[in-house]
Amino acid sequence: MSGRGGRGGRGRGGPMVNGRRAVAQNSVPWATDTEILLDGKPSELFPPYDVPKPPPLTRKEDKVISYFLLFREQCQDGPLYTQARSRLSQTTTSSTNPSASTATATTSRAYGQDQINQRYGQVSKATVDAFTAVPTYSQRFTRAPRALPDLASRPFAKEFFPPELHATLDGEDEVAASRPGKRRRLAGGGKTLGLSNITSYKTAEELFLYDGLLPDQQQQQQQQIGQPNGRKQEGELDKALQLMSTLEKRGEGEDDAGFLSGEDDEDWVRGGNGEDDEDGVAEEDDQYEDESGDDYNAEAYFDGNQDDDDFDDGGDDGGDYF
Amino acid sequence: MMLVRARKQNPPISTGRNGLTQYQTKPLAELCALLIDELHGELPSRIFAMLLTKGRSTVPQLAQYTSMTPRQIRHGLAVLHQHNLLFYHVDAGSEFAFYEANPENAYNLIRTGKILEMVETSFGAPAKDVVQNLLLSGQTRISDLVAAYKEKIEHASKEAATNGEDDDWTAEPNGINGDAPSTNKAGPVVKSTAHLNSIICRLVEAELIEVVHSTTFESPQDVQKIVEKEVMDKFFPAGVKGNKAKIEFQEKMAEGLRKMRAESKSLKRKLEQQGSGIKRRKLMENLSMAVTNGNHEEDLDPVLDPRQVIRINYEKCLVDLRNRRLVQFATDMYGETTAYVYGVLLKLLTKDLPRCRQDPLADTSDDKHDTEKPFIVTTDLILDNLKTSVDLSLGIGKAERRQISRSAAERIDPYPPAKRTFLEEAEVEGEASADEDEDDDESSEESEDDADYKPVANGDTNGVNGTNGTRVKFAGTGSAAKEPRRMDRPTQLRQHLLILCESAQRFVRHCGPDEWTVDFPPLMRALRETELDTVIERKCGRQGLRLARILRSKGKLEEKALPNVALMRKPELQQKMLEMQSAGFVSVQEVPRDLKADVKKSFFLWFCDVERSLGHMLANSYTTMVHCMQVLEALRYRERDVLETTKRTDVRGREKDTMRKEYYERYSRYLECERKLFAQMMRLDDLVSVLRDF
Repeated sequence: MSGRGGRGGRGRGGPMVNGRRAVAQNSVPWATDTEILLDGKPSELFPPYDVPKPPPLTRKEDKVISYFLLFREQCQDGPLYTQARSRLSQTTTSSTNPSASTATATTSRAYGQDQINQRYGQVSKATVDAFTAVPTYSQRFTRAPRALPDLASRPFAKEFFPPELHATLDGEDEVAASRPGKRRRLAGGGKTLGLSNITSYKTAEELFLYDGLLPDQQQQQQQQIGQPNGRKQEGELDKALQLMSTLEKRGEGEDDAGFLSGEDDEDWVRGGNGEDDEDGVAEEDDQYEDESGDDYNAEAYFDGNQDDDDFDDGGDDGGDYF
Repeated sequence: MMLVRARKQNPPISTGRNGLTQYQTKPLAELCALLIDELHGELPSRIFAMLLTKGRSTVPQLAQYTSMTPRQIRHGLAVLHQHNLLFYHVDAGSEFAFYEANPENAYNLIRTGKILEMVETSFGAPAKDVVQNLLLSGQTRISDLVAAYKEKIEHASKEAATNGEDDDWTAEPNGINGDAPSTNKAGPVVKSTAHLNSIICRLVEAELIEVVHSTTFESPQDVQKIVEKEVMDKFFPAGVKGNKAKIEFQEKMAEGLRKMRAESKSLKRKLEQQGSGIKRRKLMENLSMAVTNGNHEEDLDPVLDPRQVIRINYEKCLVDLRNRRLVQFATDMYGETTAYVYGVLLKLLTKDLPRCRQDPLADTSDDKHDTEKPFIVTTDLILDNLKTSVDLSLGIGKAERRQISRSAAERIDPYPPAKRTFLEEAEVEGEASADEDEDDDESSEESEDDADYKPVANGDTNGVNGTNGTRVKFAGTGSAAKEPRRMDRPTQLRQHLLILCESAQRFVRHCGPDEWTVDFPPLMRALRETELDTVIERKCGRQGLRLARILRSKGKLEEKALPNVALMRKPELQQKMLEMQSAGFVSVQEVPRDLKADVKKSFFLWFCDVERSLGHMLANSYTTMVHCMQVLEALRYRERDVLETTKRTDVRGREKDTMRKEYYERYSRYLECERKLFAQMMRLDDLVSVLRDF
């Protein structure tokens, strides 16, 4: 490596004491070339860089990705998906410095199996974040993460599994022998293979952006969104707060919802929610909103629960809520 | 004696053909684990990663390695096994089974989208639905699948009934039900169990679905051992002695392996015995052209044995994916009509081709069998399968009769090209001409990304493509209009096929009068080189590509000779070569003139090792894919509060109502990023499949 250039005699001419300087004085470009303009500025810290951009997706690629995402969505919805993350940095919001913990989550090196294992199994009662662990009503809507796959809910072709897994497939592989999967067996009485209900889901994105709403509803929403923007929104915030206070004085009458949001007369809940979103009620209200929304959302809660049953098919999660 | 010192910047990466050596790379192992994590959750992913690092293990061993409880391990293994991601082996009488990872299938998870899209275009939406559910549930008993569909169909019909009564109730955008009305209008994709049965039959006939049997989950090594033992017991009880016996032993082994492999096709064979559904279907189609309802043909299919367990056959899926890739390649080279013809040819040719690459053990003696039952398509067969709506006259130029050397054009090549020892040699013929039409290449590369393969070529788009085929001697500009003589359809088809034959890439070989075949290995090599060229051009520009091509055609070139050959100034050239060297496309070798190995006197030879560059590209693709997944994870972490909100059951389906605007924006931005990242992975996978699997 070093052999080739190293011996070419650039630095060998002249005595070393002050000859070096003499050589340097004569050989630097600005000594010989008087026309040269020296750019004394330091080099830029972030020089312009041409970021290579991939070409946009073709229709076919778009389709392929949609299919993949749908497949992923279905997989994660299925009974065999284990949602529980036992890596600390992913689930809990580390309160001190999130950036450091992301670094540890994804890029830190681990030497040896022990260190890899130590990354997991970090989520336990001891690592609960006290700031987010207070039970709130909305937590009821989050689906409880599944730590182990729900094997009992579906049939298997057992003859192709090694014999040691057969008990596990029946859902009888419990920790304590005292409760040998009572609930599970009840749930899996029929044991049919559930086809995912999200088959009709286009993609999460499409669902979200076009929302599956009727066109006129969308228009309404566009109007709503179009109105309060930027500064205007802040002005309206005060207005909204004023409204709230007047409302509270008036007590809860039927007309109030109409008075507030102006269009959704029939449904207070929706009006309330919409108001909350679009007008951006101050953050401190947020918590109380949850509390006060309790009564109304109870309905939604039951609805939601039905949904849940629907697409779990085993419906084992239903039990946890009650 | 260090007489020859090769200066290598990057360590060589073995790109062995036999599945195992490829999987030694760490990024691939990581990628597989991440993919499983994405689709099946953390628990299986951890176990899989462990199996990859530690190799064959039992449950207690795994428990020790991962410091999880055996119960967790068992659950995770069950999930992995259900999704065909494991091999296992139980020794007779032993307590524990040995598990081994199946990295092929784990990697194939990323191809799910492509496979589904492929199935949809060639078999229709209902088939896609079935394949999707099959992929989702892993290996499945037919009766279970039928029951599940039955339930769903009943559910849908019930809902349709209620839907008719009160429309406004279901129209409420409530959770998942929110988009239910749209599906109800269309009805379920699979209409009845008979329909399902017919779909499965068709997929089995196409080999996209295979039967699970007792040895499916033995790892390749175990299968080999089992067969070996059988053969030894049966034919060579005294051991294998002498050369003749060795050859015989190998033949017997190959036969045994093939027999074992054929077991997964048992269902297909049964279907064929019961009077080939395809033939009958065709007959019915001819008979009842007027009957639009497909119910008749469904009744014709034999009812499948409900006890059979089926799963997706990835190998065959890959064959079909390769066909599509080749069609795209042909589109880039010659235009759509020719590519369409090529697509039909490939489809007919690969109907019975079980896998892209031959198994070195099982297919060694296959060459002899191949000549007996070769893969050959006749012109008539292609003609029968072409859609009549396709205008074959497009994409062919016309030339004066005397300009065509008929004997050369119609030359028949009965044998596949002999195996060439050096890859460099193979390119010499092609490259000489390829240099001239670099412009042509560039334009096709640009269109490569947005060229959508359309099986039905409509006249408007085709007109443009004729210009692409300038290399072909039939292409004469303008003379087409003057020529009064019109070719009939078979002749036109022949012209297209001859164009494909003449290509430098050897798309098709004219192996007999009106018989055509494709030699995949050299063709894929050409495709791989094209990919490499694209990458070199992107990274080092046109100059770099030119230099690489010069080196490839000349072999090793001395440093001083290179400027003369390349017609470039020395400093520029050196800079370019260094750039290419650091990118891993070229290497330099130092050859001293005498024993003293004086640097000034020794030669420095530049050369271009295609295999090694391809290996680098492969390794880089894995790393980039891993990186994509990691970026996605980081994004998820950053947007975790939004994502948690969207997962709530009360928010799902009516995000716009329940979420704040900023949340909504963050969420949609996240989704966009996610899409782009996956798109990047899919594109990289295109490259990987060309480099590794096709």
